[in-house]
Amino acid sequence: MTVLVTGANGFLGRRVVRAAARAGHDVLALVRPGAAPAAELVDDDRVEVVRGDLRADGPWRRAAAAADAVVHLAAATSGDLATQVAGTVRATEQLLVAIDSSALDRFVHVSSFSVYDADALATGDVLDERSPLEADPSRRDAYTATKLFQERLVREAFAAHPERLVVLRPGMIFGPGHDWAWGAALTLGTRAAVLIAPHAPMPVVYVDDCADAVVAALGSSAAGGRTIDLVDDDLPTHAGLARLGRRLGRAPAIALPVPWTVAAGLGRLVATIDRRWFAGRARLPEVLASARLAARWKPRRYDNALAHELLDWSPSVGIHEGARRTASGAAR
Amino acid sequence: MSGRCWRVGILGCGAIAWPHLEHLGRLAAAQRVEIVGVCDRSAATARFAAERAGVDVVCGDLDDLLERTAPDVVHVLTPPHTHEALSLRCLEAGVHVLCEKPAAPDRAALERLLAAAAHAGRRFTESQNLRWNDQVMAIAAAVAQGELGQVVDIDLLLMLDLAGGPLGAAGPDGPSVRLPGGAVHDLLPHLAYLLVHLAGPELEQRADEQPDSIEVVGRLRNASGNARLGYDQLDALVAASPLRARIRVAGDLRPDGLRIVVRGTRGAMETDLYHPYLRAEGVAGSTATGLVAPAANGIRMAWSAMTGIADKVRRHDVFHGLGRLLDTWYADLDEPGPGPVAPAAMRATVSLTERLVELRSESCRSRP
Repeated sequence: MTVLVTGANGFLGRRVVRAAARAGHDVLALVRPGAAPAAELVDDDRVEVVRGDLRADGPWRRAAAAADAVVHLAAATSGDLATQVAGTVRATEQLLVAIDSSALDRFVHVSSFSVYDADALATGDVLDERSPLEADPSRRDAYTATKLFQERLVREAFAAHPERLVVLRPGMIFGPGHDWAWGAALTLGTRAAVLIAPHAPMPVVYVDDCADAVVAALGSSAAGGRTIDLVDDDLPTHAGLARLGRRLGRAPAIALPVPWTVAAGLGRLVATIDRRWFAGRARLPEVLASARLAARWKPRRYDNALAHELLDWSPSVGIHEGARRTASGAAR
Repeated sequence: MSGRCWRVGILGCGAIAWPHLEHLGRLAAAQRVEIVGVCDRSAATARFAAERAGVDVVCGDLDDLLERTAPDVVHVLTPPHTHEALSLRCLEAGVHVLCEKPAAPDRAALERLLAAAAHAGRRFTESQNLRWNDQVMAIAAAVAQGELGQVVDIDLLLMLDLAGGPLGAAGPDGPSVRLPGGAVHDLLPHLAYLLVHLAGPELEQRADEQPDSIEVVGRLRNASGNARLGYDQLDALVAASPLRARIRVAGDLRPDGLRIVVRGTRGAMETDLYHPYLRAEGVAGSTATGLVAPAANGIRMAWSAMTGIADKVRRHDVFHGLGRLLDTWYADLDEPGPGPVAPAAMRATVSLTERLVELRSESCRSRP
């Protein structure tokens, strides 16, 4: 089928475009005007680059209307709240207006683990598709607030045709250029790294494996109407990924572990100071902001059974090979 | 101060709406205002803003906002080319207007707005928020008290990544700036009112009453090649004897900043509103003179570095002056006076802005 991929020039987008083309789909790769398309987008006869900015009207609307399916990856991942509202909320609204939800075979929306309410789970609990969503986005960052709202918009648009929608929530997507600091919360120069909750699993998934799952979601009838988390089968701990990084010559030689109880205690202390002296408005780094600290570092377990079952998906690259590719900067 | 709780509508939920909502939230907590509705052509953006601000009513256009919420005040925060028509509609409906800059595209439009406000018995004010920033207030106070002597030279340099920010990115309606002076025009009112404010009342009167007597030379051009921006670079000299000023807008300099240098016959003060510090040299009344002066400035700079970190933590950012403007504006809104931004200041700002916009196109010169 003909698949429109938004955010096609991004870290995950270019891998999804390539995987979709290899799976036999014709791909309309939406790329912002003025951006140089990645090699994956121009080297394949099955891929047509469509220039457009979802925030603005343009010919991309015709491509959206012509597509049999949509993979929606476009979102603002950085910038202030206004930038992320425009790039995530407004852009999604425009896309949803441009498509006919009753005529599409499939709309795969790529959400994020950031929408979950990490504090609602006890240490060691399993985070999965049934876990509660963040109820108070204002205590998190702009990314969480806008991704939550984006997911709501998509669900509302497909309320009458829920079977055509698949919502994927990848964990931490890693790959060349996105190494998540090899598990470190802070790096002190090139020699030392601070590891919060060193023995807690990291919900990572290699970028090509994530792209395979997205493409699988396009054709899976069982996945229709479902929400599916994406993490690897063999999750490393923060310390484990740091060790991998060290072996590959990418992570600092010295690891300074900080137990979760210590980090969480510091976060609570800072939160108390924030409430008392800054009216709860202080702008803090992630490692000191209690809610964001918990979202990223609180020890939890993860489950990808639904991804296996509904998408017939298994990571083909995996963590060890993925880490090697990430360290060398190589693509598949 | 009025004890009344004003019903406020927000018209436009783009980038500038967030600082307004933040400061209005503080006033709402003090029960001085109630945000009764938000409005944006993007229903999703309006909903997001409403949820964030705890507002129940979400509207798709101004008439809907006026009809459903009966506001006392509307903050007009839409794209600049829409300000005049929307503000006039509010004033005709008997609603006070606080309008983002530029309040009007030209002097004639501003006069129409001020006349409509006078006719309706309502206030129309351009948000000249940077006048209430800490550093600007400190320099203005030094100027007013004569500590710099006669102000003879002002240098304003705005460095902003215009192409990377909201001005360079297309919105759903196409180019975000539909003004004769392009992206620079959207920012020029800040520089114009800062110049007028810091130079003192003589320049304000002259720019208001005899704007053509001010010599303006320079160049306004598109340097980036990004057509959506229109004009993105300004280098202008303004001469209104005894004052001379240089006004620059540059999209190709980093980091972002708004550098202000005010030089008088006795001393000078300098700041940057994006990376705040305050440097004073030879300022009359200062106890630091001679050999002590450099040390005093060094201590002041070190203190600025410390307070800069604290400002970042407490979100005391470049929009902090907006909070003071709103405090002042709402405090006497039910009184007949002009409010914190007098019509003369708005007239001087728009007239000077017009003169600077006349510099558009290569090597264009505008002389009295």
